[in-house]
Amino acid sequence: MKSTLGIILAAALTSAAATGPIPGRAKPAARPLTDGLAVLEAIFPVPSMTGNEERLAAKIRQLLPGGSAFDRDNLGSLYLKLGPGEPALTVLAAMDEFGYVVSGITADGYLTVDRPTAPPVPIYDSFLIGHPVLVSSNRGILHGLGVQPAMHVLTKERREQLASNLTLDMIFIDVGARSEAEARAKGVEILDPVTQWPDLVSLANGRMAGPALGQKAACAALAAAASGLVGTESAAGTTFVWMAQTRLSARGERASLGAVRARNKIAPKAVLLLDVVAADRGEKSPVLGGGPVLFQGQEGPSAVREAVESAAKEKGLALQVLTGLSTPALSAFAAAGIDAVVLALPAKFAGTPSEVIEKKDVQAVADIVSAAVASGRVK
Amino acid sequence: MRERNRGTGYRALFFLILWAAAASAQTTSDWDLLRQVVLVPGISGQEAKVMDWIEARLPKGVEAKRDAKNNLFFSAGQGRPHLLFVAHADELGMTVESFTPQGTVKLRGRGGFLPQACEARPFVIHTSKGPVEGVMLPRPDYDARAPKPFSLEPYELYVGASSEAEAKALGIEAGDQVIFKKKTADLGPGIMATRAVDDRAGCASLLAAALTVDWSKIKGRTVTCAWSVEEEVGLNGAAELAKTMKPDYVFAIDTFVSTDSPVENKRFGYARLGGGAVLRALDSSNLVPKDELRKVIGLAARRNIPVQVANSRGGNDGSVFVAGGAVDIPLSWPGAHAHSFVEKVDRRDLAALTALIRAVIMEFE
Repeated sequence: MKSTLGIILAAALTSAAATGPIPGRAKPAARPLTDGLAVLEAIFPVPSMTGNEERLAAKIRQLLPGGSAFDRDNLGSLYLKLGPGEPALTVLAAMDEFGYVVSGITADGYLTVDRPTAPPVPIYDSFLIGHPVLVSSNRGILHGLGVQPAMHVLTKERREQLASNLTLDMIFIDVGARSEAEARAKGVEILDPVTQWPDLVSLANGRMAGPALGQKAACAALAAAASGLVGTESAAGTTFVWMAQTRLSARGERASLGAVRARNKIAPKAVLLLDVVAADRGEKSPVLGGGPVLFQGQEGPSAVREAVESAAKEKGLALQVLTGLSTPALSAFAAAGIDAVVLALPAKFAGTPSEVIEKKDVQAVADIVSAAVASGRVK
Repeated sequence: MRERNRGTGYRALFFLILWAAAASAQTTSDWDLLRQVVLVPGISGQEAKVMDWIEARLPKGVEAKRDAKNNLFFSAGQGRPHLLFVAHADELGMTVESFTPQGTVKLRGRGGFLPQACEARPFVIHTSKGPVEGVMLPRPDYDARAPKPFSLEPYELYVGASSEAEAKALGIEAGDQVIFKKKTADLGPGIMATRAVDDRAGCASLLAAALTVDWSKIKGRTVTCAWSVEEEVGLNGAAELAKTMKPDYVFAIDTFVSTDSPVENKRFGYARLGGGAVLRALDSSNLVPKDELRKVIGLAARRNIPVQVANSRGGNDGSVFVAGGAVDIPLSWPGAHAHSFVEKVDRRDLAALTALIRAVIMEFE
């Protein structure tokens, strides 16, 4: 008994003392969550680099009501069609965040990295230096860090090189190994994802910041909306898609691969894409605090747009309606003549490790999606 | 009956948890002390919380003192030689300087960081009302194809406020200390990286060593253990101590700036992490006489304590005592990525340092 208690106690204390993220740890509860912010907090720490979205997909499945009929495609996208009704609105969000892959292991145990997709902003590589990262190995999530030279021994030339001419050749990830064999013994393999440490920052006025926060928030809003609509008659025929590999382009197209794959798999007639757009970047950009952003793929009447605008009005939620915007995911549907609309969260410092969003926008997007689907305006 | 048994079990578990929590709070392990003290905020000039934390854990029976600059120390024994051990408690950081009409907070940087490592990263302002989190503004053209380099000054923090009044309502005041939001990366059993390992590892090691000594039995020598302020901004705390203390030997307990990484030249500064404590024989402020160095090497050998001898850069608190007649022998651990947000330390090195400090306290001739 004493030793059992000791083990329990030790486990509890170890858990309480842990300061780093443990994204791979499974939680037993699988209750439906309709609170977008709660879903966001649950999924935010889960790494989901392009082509490696399986951990996030599993987490979303875990959070949605038991018995939900999920489907997948061979890219890793997750599909949930509600009810037996005629295909109606399809609501999608991207699961993948930007990240690096392990491209090699040096003889002294450091990892080199490569970029499989374009970075969110050109300076993104510099965000690796001197900060902790996560390395997603098949044995679990490892803590690592982007090596930074000691400041005391940094020459002027080296300092200028780091400031102005940084290349991936100068970046090494330290996972605490002293040799290639040690790194491999930790489970590190070539192509393992390397992503930013998921540090969620709480700001004033109901704002929050973190890496890939806008994209994770869009995913969370979609999950919260879906969670509330499962089993409702009005939602029958609606399909929800958490897309994988949207940061890659489909061969021969500028549209995102994940979106093209979803389009070809389910042939939707009407699409609502949940996304993120840069805020506070000049006169024509949306502002943080102005509510979710709405724009459509093609000019002209749109049943999806009408449904979204009516839902926002019904809920008393502000929208920022913009024109002239597009995204690679939107292109995939608009180019095929599909009625496609984007409902996006505005994000300040978009594409940096501290994307800032408003908490209330997460729930606003979830509520608008729920009301738009429940209204039955898109059939 | 079953309910009563269950209640008894819960009570037992509750008291066991209380006991374990109390035991945990009074840990004497250098590693556990480091993991706790590294999280206590204390930039140069605002070290009070760190000093309070250390003072609360000092060995029973010693008389803790503070001087005018808030250096913390205690002494035991009497006569000569006088051995002084000093670790600095301050860390790199910034202070609040002013506000913009848009509600961002302008900071005064005190140097030491790689500027672009601060860009778009979270920091914490420690106000009298509690911590307030913020994000360092990225360069204005951060999303441009060819942006300008991130500039050193002025650092500006976005806290979510939209006006100066909103920012002030959060409790932020000019002079508040601002530090990087610390995250502890565990790179394996006994290897961690975070901000302020320099010199909280030294603070923890000196404290852990002190906790192993029966101070009432120190005879034929005077031993002083000190935790200094303002090392990072000019060895100011040590200079204050030097006004009244004239030790024969001073052992600065501080980081050995190691070049044990793939991005550094190993011509100097190479002490391997995991290779043991370091005798910092030469740095930017001090050169240890070889015969004195050999005494410590011999002592470590007799105690089977792994040590490395190396030279690097940076100053140390002990150097301000040299002009007064002291021999400065800095005792260190190899620290990689010094003055970054991921200063890396190996538990084995810290254990060796703690053992070496204890050995010097007890046996140094």
